[in-house]
Amino acid sequence: MPYRRLILAVLATAGAIALAACYGSASQRTPAPASGRTAWGDPDLQGVWRYEGAIPLERPAQLAGRATLTAQEVAARQQLEKEQEEKRLAGSEGAAVGRRSIAESPIRGNEYNSFWQDHGRPRQVSDRTSLIVDPPDGQLPFTADAKKAAQRSTARYGVGPFESYLDPDTGERCLTDGVTGMMWQGPNGGHNRIVQSPGFVTILHEEYRDRRVIPIAASASAAQHGNIRQWFGDSVGHWDGDTLVIDTTNFIDRTNYEWADIWTRASESLHLIERFKRIDSTTLEYTITVADPATFTGPWTAVIPITKLPDDTQIYEYACHEGNYAMPNLLRGGRTDAGKK
Amino acid sequence: MIRGRWGSIVMRVAAWVAIIVASAVAGAAVWTHVPQTSAAETYQAPRTAAGAPDLNGIWQALNTANYDVQAHAARPALALIPAAPRSGTPGLTRATHVELPAPAVRALGAVGGVPAGAGVVEGNEIPYQPWALAKKKENAEHWLERDPEIKCFMPGVPRATYMPYPFQILQSTNTILMAYEFAGATRTIHMNKVGDSPSPTWMGWSRGRWEGDTLVVDVTDFNEDTWFDRAGNFHSDALHVVERYSRVGPDHLMYEITIDDPKVFTRTWKMRMPLYRRLDADARIREYKCVEFVEQLMYGNLGVVDPATGTINK
Repeated sequence: MPYRRLILAVLATAGAIALAACYGSASQRTPAPASGRTAWGDPDLQGVWRYEGAIPLERPAQLAGRATLTAQEVAARQQLEKEQEEKRLAGSEGAAVGRRSIAESPIRGNEYNSFWQDHGRPRQVSDRTSLIVDPPDGQLPFTADAKKAAQRSTARYGVGPFESYLDPDTGERCLTDGVTGMMWQGPNGGHNRIVQSPGFVTILHEEYRDRRVIPIAASASAAQHGNIRQWFGDSVGHWDGDTLVIDTTNFIDRTNYEWADIWTRASESLHLIERFKRIDSTTLEYTITVADPATFTGPWTAVIPITKLPDDTQIYEYACHEGNYAMPNLLRGGRTDAGKK
Repeated sequence: MIRGRWGSIVMRVAAWVAIIVASAVAGAAVWTHVPQTSAAETYQAPRTAAGAPDLNGIWQALNTANYDVQAHAARPALALIPAAPRSGTPGLTRATHVELPAPAVRALGAVGGVPAGAGVVEGNEIPYQPWALAKKKENAEHWLERDPEIKCFMPGVPRATYMPYPFQILQSTNTILMAYEFAGATRTIHMNKVGDSPSPTWMGWSRGRWEGDTLVVDVTDFNEDTWFDRAGNFHSDALHVVERYSRVGPDHLMYEITIDDPKVFTRTWKMRMPLYRRLDADARIREYKCVEFVEQLMYGNLGVVDPATGTINK
């Protein structure tokens, strides 16, 4: 995906700089009511949110069988995060995690990996070893076919072949990286703005300018799906006490496309249930249950703590397709390679 | 002759009947004609829970402004070529000279035609500087290669409002979203203080305020890549748009736009049109993820293989 990151870097540099600047300034927004309710009485989830945790989706092999870390391990991780943050600020972060540092980069301006991974704020360490809480082993329950597809996707990543516009992954084509990871994935930002209006919750995901306008039904039984299949499916929400529950079906089948992460791909049998629970003023506990026999042997559930950013944080326009000069260059490169064979 | 107390009562009844009839006629006028300023002044917009005029809903323009914001006659296609010379060509001598659909759009027949429209520009004149008028004409001649709509690029403002797709106003307290169906473009209208845009944009940087019951949106920080319509009307990165959204009835908004761009125009100019509420059952903004629809057009002949034909590109 490096070429994609490169264009996006150019497009969004100014935005990210402005965003970083925003972190330091005082809030100018009208404060939310103390009750944490919207003017029309719904629980208020509004603001710009991003996942700032250091917990991986799947449990690393060396922690197999362990759902939590010891206090000593947590302290060691906190120290590591602190060091990484210092390296990031010093511009030598890449070396610490096996990527090229700025100093080592053969091309000036090729430091984008470090740039995109820069959270601007330290990551939050937790004693949890995986975002996935079910299955208990913390692993994605891929079917045998999906496992092969995932391996193939990893092998192709940034390598190709790229013989037509169908070969790059959905993100490189400026389509989407999928709904499943939208709330917490996204090295290019991962920022989500939630806006509520009577009867609707809208989620704006900065990357690819993904947008979900979700109608809110009076109750779970009143929530009815429409009959139109879409990339982002058909979502219906309802409030379960103060928890927002979104049920999404009617996805289109795009399993034949390349996806950067197979577990985010859409198929007609995909069914998502998401729960948004505000557990304190700056933390949203986001729980997603993913069921899709086309990709998984059974449903899986992840619990993700998502952080509310300062009130004046903005998300910015993401003109990916409009500036996708990587695509023609990639295809010309593919033809040049083919001509050499 | 009617006199005394009874006469007075009859006169009063007659007066009330006259008032009721007059208001019914006025009411009918609101419903049969697009409400104009006078009706807008009398209509009281319902309020949101926070006390602001309520603009929530799914709205759509019903006009031909996206073809051409100025008055235009119907024509056979968006891309035209001159017909063969009339004089001296056997069989063509008696035909009126017309322009014909360009080969690239000819197969669409009547589907590809352009309906006539009275235009939405105040006074019907766009005050281009001379060089800009020449460029507008050139844009129109090269519409097929140049119109950003064809490539599924974000349509800019105000074009997004009057494209033939609905948009939804999602009104919160400090933020109002405009969610357009076309290309999944969204605008965030900042109703409270916000910093400057970090860069030029396709959809602009929008600051909103209430003037009475009208939502006024000041839009700046555009790039120079969007158009106003399919007729090649354009602007520069100095574009400054002021939009006014007023509720003029339960199911109508009046949408007024002031355009300023000193690099392209000699003065500011205005557009005005009603927007209609979509009353269809389960009206929603659907996905129109047109990036996928234009990849073949934009990239089909660039790769090793053309996905449309399966042949090797030469």
